Amino acid sequence: MEEKYAIEVKDLVISYRNLKKLNLKETFFKWKRTKAETFVAVKGISFRVREGEILGIIGKNGSGKSTTLNALAGIFSPDSGTIDLHGHSISLLSIGVGFQKEMTGRENIMLSGMLLGFSENEIKEKEQKIIDFAGLENFIDMPVRTYSSGMYSKLAFSITAILETDIMLIDEVLSVGDQRFKKKSFRKMKKLISDESRTVVIVSHNLNTLRELCNTVLWMDDGEIKMKGDPETVLDAYEAYMEEE
Amino acid sequence: MYRKFRNDIKKYWKYAVYSARAQLKSEIANSYLSWLWWILDPFCFMLIYVFIFGVVFNSRAPHFPVFVFTGNTMWNFFNKNLIQSVTIVKKNRAIVSKVYLPKYILLMSRMGVNAFKMAVASTIIVGMLIFYRIPITANIWFAIPILITLTLVVFGIGCFLLHYGVFVEDLSNVMTLVLRLVFYMTGIFWDIMDKLDPPYNAIVCRVNPAAFLLHNLRECVIYGRTPDWKLLIVWFFIGLGISILGIRKIYKNENSYVKSI
Repeated sequence: MEEKYAIEVKDLVISYRNLKKLNLKETFFKWKRTKAETFVAVKGISFRVREGEILGIIGKNGSGKSTTLNALAGIFSPDSGTIDLHGHSISLLSIGVGFQKEMTGRENIMLSGMLLGFSENEIKEKEQKIIDFAGLENFIDMPVRTYSSGMYSKLAFSITAILETDIMLIDEVLSVGDQRFKKKSFRKMKKLISDESRTVVIVSHNLNTLRELCNTVLWMDDGEIKMKGDPETVLDAYEAYMEEE
Repeated sequence: MYRKFRNDIKKYWKYAVYSARAQLKSEIANSYLSWLWWILDPFCFMLIYVFIFGVVFNSRAPHFPVFVFTGNTMWNFFNKNLIQSVTIVKKNRAIVSKVYLPKYILLMSRMGVNAFKMAVASTIIVGMLIFYRIPITANIWFAIPILITLTLVVFGIGCFLLHYGVFVEDLSNVMTLVLRLVFYMTGIFWDIMDKLDPPYNAIVCRVNPAAFLLHNLRECVIYGRTPDWKLLIVWFFIGLGISILGIRKIYKNENSYVKSI
C-alpha cells in the first residue's frame, strides 16, 4: 500500500539576514558601512513525515531545530526549498497566544482561536469543551486580568489542546497549572500526541520524553540532518556524541 | 503577490476586525467615562484650540470651531496611525513569534481602531454643522473618496514605517519630530492657503498629503465646494502605489522580523 505523507520537506534552506538594529548615530557617523551578514540556520534539509507519525527532533542549541519547526508552522518562510503539507492544517502548540488581559476568557478563546487559524464557527462549536476542560465555568465571562496565573494557564492550555489541527508542532512538551492540572494537561498532551490520525513533530531536549512518545527521531546538527531513524538508535548515538563533546 | 494578499485578507480579515474591537474595549475597560472618551477627547482639544486661536489670537476663519474640529479629527487618524505603526511589530511580539500572520494585518487592525474613533468624531462634525446652521450640500459625499485616499496613503506609509521600525531603534523619535513639522504644515487650526504666501501655500497644499486632503475635506464638508478632483485621483494612485510597495516590502522581509524584536 502506498504510504501517505503529511509533511514533505525538500531542500529546505532558511537563512537570517542579519539586519542589525540601527540607530541614527551609527548610520550617519560610521565611516565604514558593513554589509548585512547572512546566517544560514537550516542548510538544505529534506525529510518526510508519514500521516499519524510522531517525529522527534533533537540537536544541541543552535542546530536549527526550532527554526525548522517555525518554518513548518509558517512563521518563517523558506529562502529556498519547499514544505508540502498536502492540505493538512497545522499549528505550533503555544499557550496564551494573542491574549488580551482586559478581555473576558470567552473573548480570548475567540481571539486566540482565530490567530491559530480557526474560523468563528469552529471556535464556537468547541467553546464549551474548552471551558469545561479548563474548569473555569464561573469565571469565563470575567476579564482575564482578574485570573490567577494558574487559571490563566489552564485557559490558555485548554484552547490549544481542544482546538486541534491535523499536524501538531510542539516545542518542548507542555504541562501547566497546579499539580492536579499539570497531570491532567500532561495526560491530555499524551492523548493528543498518541492519536493515530494526528501527525506530530516534537522538539525537545528531554530524551526520555522522546523515547516514550516518538516513532522516529531526527537529529540535527549545524543546520543539517545528522541521522534519522528509530528512537533507540538515534537517541543512543546522540547521547554518545554529546558525552564525547 | 496579489493572490497571496487576497488569500491572506480572506483568512485574517475577521481576526483584524475582532482584534480591533478587543483593543477598543481594552482601552476603556477601566475608565469611569468609558466610550464617552472617544467623543470627549477630540471635543476638548477643539475647545482648547478654539480658545487659543479663536479668542487669544483672534482667528477670523469662518465657522472656526467646525474648521478646527474637522482638522483635529483627520489629523488624529493620520498622526496616530503613523506613530503607532513604527512600534506595532515589537508590541505584538508575543503573537508574531508564535503564529504566522501577515504583519500588515496588525496595522490594519490598529487602523480599524483609529478609524472607529474618527467615525465617532465625524458624527460630532455633522452635529456641529446642524448646530451652526452651516448648509449641508450634496458635496459632503465627496468626503468618502477623500477619506478612502487618506486611508490608502496612511496604510502605505504605515507599511514602510512598520518595516523600518523593526530595525531602526530611534525611528519613533524621528517620526515624532517629522509629524510635528507636518502638523504645522497641515493647517489644523489655520488655513494654509491664507497663512502662507503664494506660491508656497499652493505648493504645501499639493505636496503634503495631509494638508491637501484636509483642505479638500473642509471644502466639501464645511463650504459645500467640490474638491480638486484631478489631484485627488493623483493622491489616490500614489496611496495605492505606496500600499502595494509597502505590502511587498513586508512580504519580502517579514521572516526576519522575529529574529530582530
